[in-house]
Amino acid sequence: MTVKVEASADAIPHNTLLIVGLIGSIVCIYLTYLNTITGLDVFSFFGGIGAIIALIWGTSTIKRLCSYGIGTGVPSAGMVAFGAGIIAMLVGTKFGIMSPVAALIIAAVSGAIFGYLADSVLNMKIPVLVQSLAELSIIGALTIMGFTAMATGDFTFGVLTAGTISIFGFAVPAAQASFVGGGITAVAFMLGGIAIQHPFNAALGPSNTQDRTLMLAAECGFLSMIMMAIISFAFISMGSALLGLLIAIIGWGYTYAQFIDLSKRDAADWLDAKMIVETED
Amino acid sequence: MENIVLSIGVAAFAGALAAVAGAAEDTESNIGSQGDPNSQVQLAPQMGYMHRIFNKAVAGEPPSWALWIALGAGVAWAFMAMNVNPVLAIILGSVLASFVQGVYATTAYLGRTASLAKFGQPVYVDILKSVTPVTTAHAFVAIFATVTICYLMNAVLGHPFPLPILGIIWGIALGAAGSAVGNPYYGKERQYQNQKFGAGVPISASGNIVRYAEAGERSSLDNGWFTAKYAGPASGICFGLIVFFELWRHLIFEHYFGGWGSVIVGGIIVLLITIMARFIEVWARKTYGPYTAPEKKPDEEAA
Amino acid sequence: MSAIAAKPAGGAEMPKGPAAIAIVLLLVVVGIGYYMTMAGFFTMAIFYSLIGIIVGGMLVTFSVHLVPVGGAPAAMGQAPGIATGVTMLAAGAGLAGLFKGAWAAQFGYLPALGTGAIGGALLMALTCMFVNVTYVYGMGIPSASGKVRNDPITGDSQDEYKSQGTEGHGLPFISYVGGVLGGLIGGFGGTLIYISLYDAYVNGLPTLMGGTTESIMPIAVSVAGIFAIGMFLVNAVLTAYNITGTIEGPHDPKFKRFPRAIVASAVASALTGLLALMIIVPMPF
Repeated sequence: MTVKVEASADAIPHNTLLIVGLIGSIVCIYLTYLNTITGLDVFSFFGGIGAIIALIWGTSTIKRLCSYGIGTGVPSAGMVAFGAGIIAMLVGTKFGIMSPVAALIIAAVSGAIFGYLADSVLNMKIPVLVQSLAELSIIGALTIMGFTAMATGDFTFGVLTAGTISIFGFAVPAAQASFVGGGITAVAFMLGGIAIQHPFNAALGPSNTQDRTLMLAAECGFLSMIMMAIISFAFISMGSALLGLLIAIIGWGYTYAQFIDLSKRDAADWLDAKMIVETED
Repeated sequence: MENIVLSIGVAAFAGALAAVAGAAEDTESNIGSQGDPNSQVQLAPQMGYMHRIFNKAVAGEPPSWALWIALGAGVAWAFMAMNVNPVLAIILGSVLASFVQGVYATTAYLGRTASLAKFGQPVYVDILKSVTPVTTAHAFVAIFATVTICYLMNAVLGHPFPLPILGIIWGIALGAAGSAVGNPYYGKERQYQNQKFGAGVPISASGNIVRYAEAGERSSLDNGWFTAKYAGPASGICFGLIVFFELWRHLIFEHYFGGWGSVIVGGIIVLLITIMARFIEVWARKTYGPYTAPEKKPDEEAA
Repeated sequence: MSAIAAKPAGGAEMPKGPAAIAIVLLLVVVGIGYYMTMAGFFTMAIFYSLIGIIVGGMLVTFSVHLVPVGGAPAAMGQAPGIATGVTMLAAGAGLAGLFKGAWAAQFGYLPALGTGAIGGALLMALTCMFVNVTYVYGMGIPSASGKVRNDPITGDSQDEYKSQGTEGHGLPFISYVGGVLGGLIGGFGGTLIYISLYDAYVNGLPTLMGGTTESIMPIAVSVAGIFAIGMFLVNAVLTAYNITGTIEGPHDPKFKRFPRAIVASAVASALTGLLALMIIVPMPF
C-alpha cells in the first residue's frame, strides 16, 4: 500500500486501552471458569467477550506500531502476533487454572524477544517495537484462548484434547473430535489474525479517527464471535451455544450500525447513485 | 487397482475444482479491488482523481483467503461433528464464510473511504449495494470449491491434517496463486487501460487510474468482467495445476523407491516448468524486442 | 508499504552488539533444552527435535530472502517481482510443502523432507511461470530486472527491456530461479519443523495423556501442524521486516542482509521450539 500511515491524535491514550484490555480480557476469560465451578456451560460466552476486549486493545497497539512504518503490510503484524500467540496459548493451557496467566507470561516473554530481535538484530530501529510485539503476542494468545473458552467452555489442555463421537448411539472417546484434534485452533487463529489487523488496515488514511477504528475492532470481534458461537454447538450444550450466538449477533448488529453511523459522520460526503464528484470544478 | 483409479479420479476432480476456485478468487478480488492493485484505488483521490471503485482492503489476498477457507472448513467440520451430512455441512460452512467475507468487504470500503475525507472522496452507498453481493457470490464459489478440495483430501485421500488446517494451507496457497498471477493484469492492464500497451505504468502516472467507462462511469463490476477474460482463468489454471500435481505425484508415485518416487517426479515437473518459463522469457524478448536500442560499449562498436 | 514509500532499514551489516546478545540468548535456550534432557524431562530425541526446529526455522528465513516479491509496484508493472506480500507468498510455498511432507511422513522422514521441498518448489515454479505468462501473453511486457545490467545466470541484458519510467517488470530468469529455490528450501524447512514436532509428540503424548499412539495421533498431527504454521509465519514476518517488504531475488543488494535474519530466526525458532516441546512435559496441575 502506498498510503502514508498517519497516526491521528487519540482521545483515549494507548496506555488506558492497554490496562483496560489486559485486565478486561483476563477477567472475562476467568469468568468462563464459572463453568467448572457450577458444572454448567452457560458462562462460555465470556470467552468471546474477553477476546473482543483483547482485539480492541490490539487495534490500538497495531495503530501505534504501524504509525512508524514497518516496511511491509499491516496484516503481517497480525500474523506474527498470532503465530507467537498460538504457541504461547497452547503451552499455557497446560497450567490448569493458571492457564490464562501462564499464557500471558509466556507470550510477553517470547513477544519481547521477537521485538528485540526485529528492533536490534534486524536493525528496524522502531522505539515501540519491543513493547508492541510483546503486547501483540499477549493479545494473540488471549484472543485464541478466549475463542477457545467460548467454543469449548474450558481452557485446559485435557479438555481441549478430549472429544467424543457417537457410533451407533454410543459415545466413544475420539481425539479427532476434540477442539485441538479437529484443528479448530486454526479457525481461532485466522479469525483473530484477520480481526486484529483489519480495523486499522481498513480505517487507514489521513482522516482516520480513533472511535471509528475501535468501533470497527469491536465489530470484527463480534463477527468472529458469531462464527465461534456456531462452532461451539459442536462442543457445548445447545442452550449455552444459543446464548453465545444471541449475544454475538446483538453485539455485532449494534457495533455494525454504529460503525456505519460513524463512517457517515467522518465521510466527505454520503451519496447514493450519484456521479463522480470532480475536485477540479 | 480400484483404489488407484478412484484416487486419480479424485485428484483430477480436485484439480478441476481448484481451477474453478482460482478463477473465482481472482475475479472476486478484482471486483472488490483487493491486494496490491488496490493501492492505486487508494492513491487516486490523494492525487485529485475521485472514483467509483470498490476498496476492499481486508488484508492481502493470502491471509484473507486463509480466513475464508479455514472458517468455511471449520464451520463445516463443526456441522459434521453434529452429524450433519458432509455435503450440507460444506455448503453451510461456505455460506457462513461468504457472509463474513461480505461483512469485511463493506467495513473495508466504508473505513477506507471515510478515512479519505481529507481529499474529498465521498462514500457511494450504491456501490456497497451493487458490488458487495457480486464479490460475495464469487467468494462463495471459490470457498465452496476449496473447502470441497480440503474435504476430499481429508476424507477420501486420507491426508492426516484435520479440515481447518488444510483450509489454512490451501487458503494461503489459493490467495498466493491468485494474487501473484492475477494482480498485474488488474493493476496494470485494467486500472491503467489508458497507458501504453506492452509497457509498465510509468511511476509518474501513479494514481491516474481510469475512472470513466465507454459511457458513464467505470464500476468495479466492469473490472471483474475485464479480468475474467484472462487473469481469472490464468489464476485458475495455475492453482488447479498446483493442486493436481501435488495430489497426482503423491497418489501414483509415492510408493516407488520407498517414497522417493514422488520426489523424482516432482523434480522432473519442476524442470519442465523451468524450461517453459525460460522459453516464454526468450520468446518475449525476441518477439517484442527491446524498448530502447542497447547501449553499446566502446569496444563492441570498434569490433 | 511499497518499495518507494518504505523507509530504508539501514545497510546490510549485522549490528555486532545485538547479534552477540542474540547468540547468547540462543545458547541459553538451547542450554535449557539440554538441561531438561539431562534432568530427564526430555529424551535425547526431543533435544534433536529442538535442533531440527532451529535448523528448519533458519532455512525458512533464508528461503524467504530468495523469493522475488515486488509488492504494490509490481502489480502496475513498475517493479520486477511477484505482485503480492513476501510473507504470504513464502508461506504459500512453504505450507504447500508442509502439506505434502506431512502426508508422506508415514513413508519415512527423509522422503518426507524431500517431497516437502519439491512441493514448495512446485508451487513456486507454477506461480512464477504463470506470472510471466500474464506479463508476456496478457500484457505484452517482457521481463526485465531493475537491479542488475545482466542476468547473472543467462547473461541476458536487462536495461533496454525496461519500459520507460519503470524499475523493470516481470520475472527475469534469475528471479524465477530464486523463487523456485526459495520454495524448495522453504518447503524443506517447514517440513523439517513439522517432522521434528511430530516425532516428539508421537513419542511423548501417549505417556502424557495415557492413550495409545493411534488414539492421540490426531492431536499430535494437529498440534504439530498448527505450530509449524505459526513458526513459519513468525520467521517469514521477521524476514519481511528484514528486507522491508520487497526483494527481486538472489541478485538484489538486499539479499546480502540475510545473515542477520538467520541469527534472529535461530533465536526465535529456538524459543518457540522449546515452548512447543514443553507441551509433552507433564505439569503438576
